[in-house]
Amino acid sequence: MANTGWDEFEIGAMLRTFEGEAGNIAGTLQEDRKYTENSSFSASVADWRIEKPIFAKDYCIDCQFCWIYCPDISIISRDKKMIGIDMDHCKGCGICVEVCPTNPKSLLMFPELADEETEIAQWPAKEKKEK
Amino acid sequence: MAFDKMELRDIEVWDGNFAAAQALRQCQVDVVSAYPITPSTPIVEGYAKFKSDNYVEGEYVMVESEHAAMSGCIGAAAAGGRVATATSSQGLALMAETLYQASGMRLPIVLNIVNRALAAPLNVNGDHSDMYMVRDSGWIQFDAFCPQEAYDLNFIAFKVSEDHAVRTPAIVNQDGFMTSHTAQGVHTMDDDTAFSFVGEFKPMNDMLDFEHPVTHGVQTEEDWHFEHKARQHNDMMTIVPGKIDAAFEEFAKLTGRKYNQIEQYDMDDADVAVVCMGTSVETAREVAREMREKGIKAGVIGIRVFRPFPFMAIAEALKDVKAVAALDRSAPGGTPGALFNEIAGSLFNSDSKMLLSGYIYGLGGRDLTKKHLVDLYTELQANADAGKVLTQQQQFIGVRGPKLAYL
Amino acid sequence: MSEMKKIKNLKEFSTSADRFEGANLLCPGCAHSIIVREVLNATNDDLVLAASTGCLEVCTAVYPYTSWDASWIHIGFENGSTAVAGAEAMYKALKTKGRLKQPDRNPKFVAFGGDGASYDIGFQWISGCMERNHDMMYVVLDNEVYANTGGQRSSSTPIGSSATTTPAGSISYGETRNKKDMMGIMAAHNIPYAAQVAPNKWKDMVKKIQKGFATEGAVFINAVSPCTTEWKFDPKDTMHLTDLATDSLVFPLYEVIDGHELNITYRPKEKDIVPVEEYLAAQGRFRHLFKDQYKYLIKEWQERVDANWAYLNRREEARV
Repeated sequence: MANTGWDEFEIGAMLRTFEGEAGNIAGTLQEDRKYTENSSFSASVADWRIEKPIFAKDYCIDCQFCWIYCPDISIISRDKKMIGIDMDHCKGCGICVEVCPTNPKSLLMFPELADEETEIAQWPAKEKKEK
Repeated sequence: MAFDKMELRDIEVWDGNFAAAQALRQCQVDVVSAYPITPSTPIVEGYAKFKSDNYVEGEYVMVESEHAAMSGCIGAAAAGGRVATATSSQGLALMAETLYQASGMRLPIVLNIVNRALAAPLNVNGDHSDMYMVRDSGWIQFDAFCPQEAYDLNFIAFKVSEDHAVRTPAIVNQDGFMTSHTAQGVHTMDDDTAFSFVGEFKPMNDMLDFEHPVTHGVQTEEDWHFEHKARQHNDMMTIVPGKIDAAFEEFAKLTGRKYNQIEQYDMDDADVAVVCMGTSVETAREVAREMREKGIKAGVIGIRVFRPFPFMAIAEALKDVKAVAALDRSAPGGTPGALFNEIAGSLFNSDSKMLLSGYIYGLGGRDLTKKHLVDLYTELQANADAGKVLTQQQQFIGVRGPKLAYL
Repeated sequence: MSEMKKIKNLKEFSTSADRFEGANLLCPGCAHSIIVREVLNATNDDLVLAASTGCLEVCTAVYPYTSWDASWIHIGFENGSTAVAGAEAMYKALKTKGRLKQPDRNPKFVAFGGDGASYDIGFQWISGCMERNHDMMYVVLDNEVYANTGGQRSSSTPIGSSATTTPAGSISYGETRNKKDMMGIMAAHNIPYAAQVAPNKWKDMVKKIQKGFATEGAVFINAVSPCTTEWKFDPKDTMHLTDLATDSLVFPLYEVIDGHELNITYRPKEKDIVPVEEYLAAQGRFRHLFKDQYKYLIKEWQERVDANWAYLNRREEARV
């Protein structure tokens, strides 16, 4: 849309989120929706990140703290299970790591260019609680 | 719950306010969001009484300020239905921010402005300061010169504003007190005929269509804003005038009352002409006829559509006139009056040798008398005879103290 | 009346299909978005939304993008409340007239605004909407500062906070006035429901939002929204800050029904109550208070919080 002229817009700068009929949006997961190019779902803020979260599934207890406290709708939970991170929309704030209750944490922050497989392979061990 | 229809006589004795209120009733407005202010208050009071007596079944929201009144109208219009309100003067000033938002979002809303002076000093009487203040707000502006026109133009305003090719809010102006509180005979339409002219509201980009969610009121910066504003202007310049003419035509077929973007009286062979708005048009018409008895070929142009400004129509109507007076009923604050400037602009690149002089008159409800207009036409004739403007280009009329003339 | 969404626990809640999208332009770690998600996900009904000018608005509808999956409108800084009230009026009108396109739906009308838009410039508009008892919910995203414009004080900015228009300096401790009691004022409109919420206490919050949605009439919600940028803390610590806010009782969680029935809905155990000092120390905006000459303000803060807590408890007990 970058170079569209004045005669190529909807009047009133109105934007539509979905192509065609929306249907029951509250009951339709993102992957099943027909977003227009105007939904920010179609955009990416991946380049905002300096650090990124990496998810080590083995330690996850599916508590969903990361899901509810993620400001960027970037924790992908399906059927009550945390299945991954939406790296197009994650801004790298690190909240998910902070609220993760497992030991060791199931989510940790790494430099943006870190390799996921390598980091998971050398994931930190369980921390002993200090009394 | 069904609402009751109202039996009207063919001619009712209504003032401009009640005529407007009746028009809103007959258009079956869905939401009126309003706040009272003199002299427009009886419009919303009238509507409230219709509501209380089951003559309308829409929602009537009495809000806590004019700004909120238009804010409510915008929310309601974006939701998708017929919306109207009324205000005057300070109320319009408070509302001004939202006028730009309504037009920028391309929402159809009809606003009745009962024209009144702007403070300070505080004044409740009619002049056109409020109308002028919002002239660049992107709203269509109609001007009614009498109660009949306040009634008729409301129907036309809805018709044009709600057209999907237009989707631009519209103002119907009428003079405070002189029109709003002066009862005259008004030819009415019966409820069914009246509603048939505006028809059922046709929603577009409506928030209440849950199958098609919309985002209204986005932010655009230097990369997008200009294009959206350009579109708004383009539509005002190229689409709206034709839609207004078509609505005028259709209304004439229905009622026999034909409106025009500029109303011309005795202009066919006029040597001298007055261009004005509001109730002054009627006074000027009467004086023009009297001047003709004295051998001065006088004419009058009343501006029916102030926005989009009928630039080409003015140029055409004035091309053979020798001397013209632009009457502005608003303190211009250090420049010629708005009508003077607009008329000058419309004739500037033409072959016309028209002599133009500007007059500031009637501020705060000061009467424009026949004597003022006789003197004015006499000055115009003198200008025409001399082939130049003999006075200064801007003069004040009807103000006490030493003569005020500039430029 | 629509059926209330069942949310027994967080796992069940996590099956919600969000109607607010990422790649919005809110700062990393912004609590606004967490609050918005908890509000929107509390229902499966259709939504008609509005936002007053502010962080949320400018970050979620910057052309050509929208982050909203439900109809949404922004008019100005002061009138998000009235925008949604107007839409609600139209809904009622079209319902009466039988012109709704989908007459079987039960839309909820929600307006969001920051504390600047709500405590200050939009105060009158909100008061009007509450007084007229529109069937709507107004949610304040209360970050106690004009964050969108770079950190100017609002009437929600608490005493001792360094804001750009009340900066701390060699002879100033920053903001000199106490935070306005917006909850008290709104409840005094005798609206059916007013509640203070915090996104960390998601269950409490969702319960209140659902209660609000089930209420016919005007609902006022004040949500604490720690601002990483203006409160000056690390973006990862947003939820920690929210915990400090609720557990220090600086932001007590309670509801007021019909203007008089006050219920405290979160009551940390005595041993879990965090000293206010800890809450202040976690934020850069209060750093200067830890200088010797201003330490008395920390003591006063604690006394004020204790007094307010005692007041709320007395109100709850008295049922007046």
